Amino acid sequence: MDALTGWWDDYLWGAVVVGQVFVCSLILMIVFGLLGAMAKISNSRTAQKIASAYTVIFRGTPEILVILLLYFGSAITLTAIAQIFNPEIRFVDVPPFWAGTIAISLIVGSYATETFRGAFLGVSPGSIEAARALGMSNLQTFIYVRIPEMWRLALPPFGNHMLSLIKDTALISIIGLNETMFVAKQAITVTGKPFTMYIVVGAIYLGFSTVVTLAVMGLEKFGERTTAGAK
Amino acid sequence: MKLTALRNMAFGLSAALTLGTAGAASAEKLRVGMECTYAPFNYKTADGELAGYDVDVANGVAGIIGAELEFVCQEWDGMIPALLANKFDLIIASMSITEKRMEKIDFSGPYRFSTGQMLGPKSKEMELFDATGNPISNNFKGLRVGLERATTYSNWFEEILPDADVVLYDGSEPLYLDLQNGRVDLIMTNPMKAHLKFLSKEDGAGFEFKGPVIDEEKYFGIGVGIGLRQGQDELKGRLNGALKELINSGELEEYALKIFPFKLHMDEWGQ
Repeated sequence: MDALTGWWDDYLWGAVVVGQVFVCSLILMIVFGLLGAMAKISNSRTAQKIASAYTVIFRGTPEILVILLLYFGSAITLTAIAQIFNPEIRFVDVPPFWAGTIAISLIVGSYATETFRGAFLGVSPGSIEAARALGMSNLQTFIYVRIPEMWRLALPPFGNHMLSLIKDTALISIIGLNETMFVAKQAITVTGKPFTMYIVVGAIYLGFSTVVTLAVMGLEKFGERTTAGAK
Repeated sequence: MKLTALRNMAFGLSAALTLGTAGAASAEKLRVGMECTYAPFNYKTADGELAGYDVDVANGVAGIIGAELEFVCQEWDGMIPALLANKFDLIIASMSITEKRMEKIDFSGPYRFSTGQMLGPKSKEMELFDATGNPISNNFKGLRVGLERATTYSNWFEEILPDADVVLYDGSEPLYLDLQNGRVDLIMTNPMKAHLKFLSKEDGAGFEFKGPVIDEEKYFGIGVGIGLRQGQDELKGRLNGALKELINSGELEEYALKIFPFKLHMDEWGQ
């Protein structure tokens, strides 16, 4: 454990970065997932096709590839676009944090699309008919009936997506984000103690995923609070 | 009208992202890419400070050309793509000047030797090279060789011993680990680093160099240089001038003596 002296603060900041990436990508992932699911169950052919292309591409390619393509590709593309308008611009940079966060939220969002779609389809038609009978508008039905029924159905698989998201943050070290994995690599080159350093990373991720698992369990309990007695 | 709107949008977008414009600012700012995990050449200490020979060279050069530096840590695999994608302006990361790399990027003059040497367990007899120092390809049969991906060492093996049973790794740490684990019988790497970080330590006690130091110019180039994007001859000229000044003032030798009992460059490079 002596080898860890002096590295604790680096690990702490690495863990903070993991937390930041997780929170930002979780929000984006829900947005991408909901957009994708709504496009898939919409009546518009075009929207359906776009959403299908999205899930096929992002579920079908390796995560590390998506991260690298977004990081390097976005900088080159944006620079080329910016130079059309102002040749003075030498480069437009997308910071690794955002390139990585967007990449993993797009990937996990494509899985969430299917989860959300299934959950929306699982909302009982009777509830929707009842809402219509009460004179609710489409928007009201969506907010007061579809979403509350849907999130309870989506929660268990959604918990899995959150765990994927947490673990995918470790991949972002490849584009130079200073998260725990990167800290471990730096510490190993100085101390020559790979096992100690990787075990610390493992413990940090285990901590994060335990919090997520407990939160999902709590939410499940909360979701069932009104129906639990009926079972 | 429409174009102005688009232009404004582009400006808004660029404001949200980091934007670099050409033209001389008051103090020139250069971003330097390195691995930050390649001790003793470039690494982060427990205090979070960057240190090592490459870092010293970078700071020495910056002092002479009057530039302000910003260091960017980048994994080795993506080093050249990142330079080309403008993630930074210079590579000062122990990168050897080779013909293959010169197709994509430009280099300053050399500031360190670039060599390779094989490492294997003391317990295994290996006759890998003949008396003139050429590898005997037959004797590599049945040996698993560990190499770092996208390095001069892997290029050398591809060309000289294409039939060798090669295992590629990302980074040098897993390479040493698998040599100790016995998953590979032999590795080829930087002998200076191998001596300092491995052979002189407890973990490396059972291992030794196998065969001579290899420095064929075709594969290992004339040495390690500073990488930059092509078409920046003015900057390249200033970098070369600064490196020569470091060599002639003896400062470069001091950087090496901090780590090794010998210097890592040739005095001729200063002429």
